[in-house]
Amino acid sequence: MNRRVWRFVFFGLAILAGFTAGLGYGWVINPVRYKSTSPETLRRDYQTDFILMTAELYNTEGDLPLALARLDFLGDGSPLALLNAAIDFAHTHHYAPTDLQLMQVLAADIVLVLGETE
Amino acid sequence: MTMLNDTQEVRTSPPAPQKRSPLYLLTGLILGLILGLVYAWVINPVIYEDTTPASLGDADKDFYRSTIAQVYAHTGDLERAALRLALLEDEDPVYTLGVQAQRVLAEGQEAEARALALLASVLQGLPQYQQTTTESVSPQPTATDPPPSIPTNTLPIPTSTP
Repeated sequence: MNRRVWRFVFFGLAILAGFTAGLGYGWVINPVRYKSTSPETLRRDYQTDFILMTAELYNTEGDLPLALARLDFLGDGSPLALLNAAIDFAHTHHYAPTDLQLMQVLAADIVLVLGETE
Repeated sequence: MTMLNDTQEVRTSPPAPQKRSPLYLLTGLILGLILGLVYAWVINPVIYEDTTPASLGDADKDFYRSTIAQVYAHTGDLERAALRLALLEDEDPVYTLGVQAQRVLAEGQEAEARALALLASVLQGLPQYQQTTTESVSPQPTATDPPPSIPTNTLPIPTSTP
């Protein structure tokens, strides 16, 4: 290969090396950081714990609109879907029966009062 | 004749080797770096899906903290409240609770302020929180120093006076 071809090869290799360095810096050394994440992105166990808190408060307050407003914290999705997902998670991870019951009561009351189905 | 000889000498001399600088390599490296960063930061950035409460925005953290305090006010389960509060990774949980209690009281939400103040007050009684409060509020405490201003159970508005 003549000199000109080699120059193109080295140029391509330099781009590749730079690209790799850029990826390494952008993904590993200094990745995009989200300082103010949304509650919707919380891990399932944290979401479940928040839903449990809501159910605990509902158990003593008996205020369903307030409980629904609290569930809105976790996003615009169906509150019942959130609750059912939390109940499933709690069941799978062997939460205390009393905690499970609190969430089940809230889910049942949502269905009863609002007639909401998933 | 002389001119012809001169011309022949020029033609037969070997061409001088071209010394090109390796600047093109640097150009390629920088170009690749820019492409890599654009790809890593814009086109396909790291996506956080399973975040923790500590990464929430300030307003969401306040809501989370307030919910913890209200649950504690209803259930009295301090261990669970402390564990939940730890998830927020506040530098000084007692101080943060106190400040938030003041703020929500100023907004007229007395029940919420009372719950926050109650939790702050109870947590301050725990040894690990006492240490945290002492370190962050008064770095060099003396026997005559006034206690750090934190909300109490009976007085939801923390004051700076002892």
